[in-house]
Amino acid sequence: MNNLWILNMGFVALLVGIGLYCLLTMKNTVKLLIGIEIIAKGVTLALVASGYARENLMVAQSLAITVIVVDVAVIATALALIININRHTKSLDVRKLTKLKG
Amino acid sequence: MHLFLLIGLLAFSILAILSRDLLKSAISLAVASIFLALVFFRMNAVYAGVFELSVVAGLITVLFITAITLTRGDGDVAESRGHRIVFPLFFLALAVVDLLVMKKLLGQIPAIQGSESGTFSQVLWNQRTFDLVGQVGAISAGVLAVLALFRRDDRHGNAASDGGDTGGRHE
Repeated sequence: MNNLWILNMGFVALLVGIGLYCLLTMKNTVKLLIGIEIIAKGVTLALVASGYARENLMVAQSLAITVIVVDVAVIATALALIININRHTKSLDVRKLTKLKG
Repeated sequence: MHLFLLIGLLAFSILAILSRDLLKSAISLAVASIFLALVFFRMNAVYAGVFELSVVAGLITVLFITAITLTRGDGDVAESRGHRIVFPLFFLALAVVDLLVMKKLLGQIPAIQGSESGTFSQVLWNQRTFDLVGQVGAISAGVLAVLALFRRDDRHGNAASDGGDTGGRHE
């Protein structure tokens, strides 16, 4: 049981690391959202794997569902923002978002 | 089998980041979600697996594809070419550190303390009621934010159409 938890946590660390790499290096705003999504996947996996290892799977699942719901709200809002920004700047480049002009 | 599913999840996550086409990235993310849902099903977390499949692999992918379609043609952002060299080095370093840390953790995990009782619905509705209120709040906030971001500026639209009419009359 503990070995499985260790294995899962190793992959959680890799997923969060990949997501952070994406957030730090990519310039496309949609790619940044994909990075956030990958980090959220790592968090969900960590919750469920910990619940499975400690035999508290019900609580872990309800927390994982909460994370997923919050994630959907974040992604929907962020994508709406990106579409609106794209109408103004005609680009998805995050470097063009440095001006705070109306 | 569990290891293969986790490797598939990781591989498609990497593909989602490194792929140049945004549509391929979104679809790779959906496939990664399917692998994660299979991992959940293997760990007996059925409800989390169903949510992962339906909401993340379904709804979020549809949202991504819609946004990519609406911004198509403008989506060519020049990413730096260093990713092909930097990313493998970064991933290798991360994997080595991860392996060392997890190896050290291996004997130090405390034993299982005790299992919970009750069904999933009892736990969700009785113990995590506040979470449900928070979820309703998060969904409402998301819906209101999307509505606010896509609202039509009627005053501006009328002014523009009036200007167009006057322009027509002058001609």
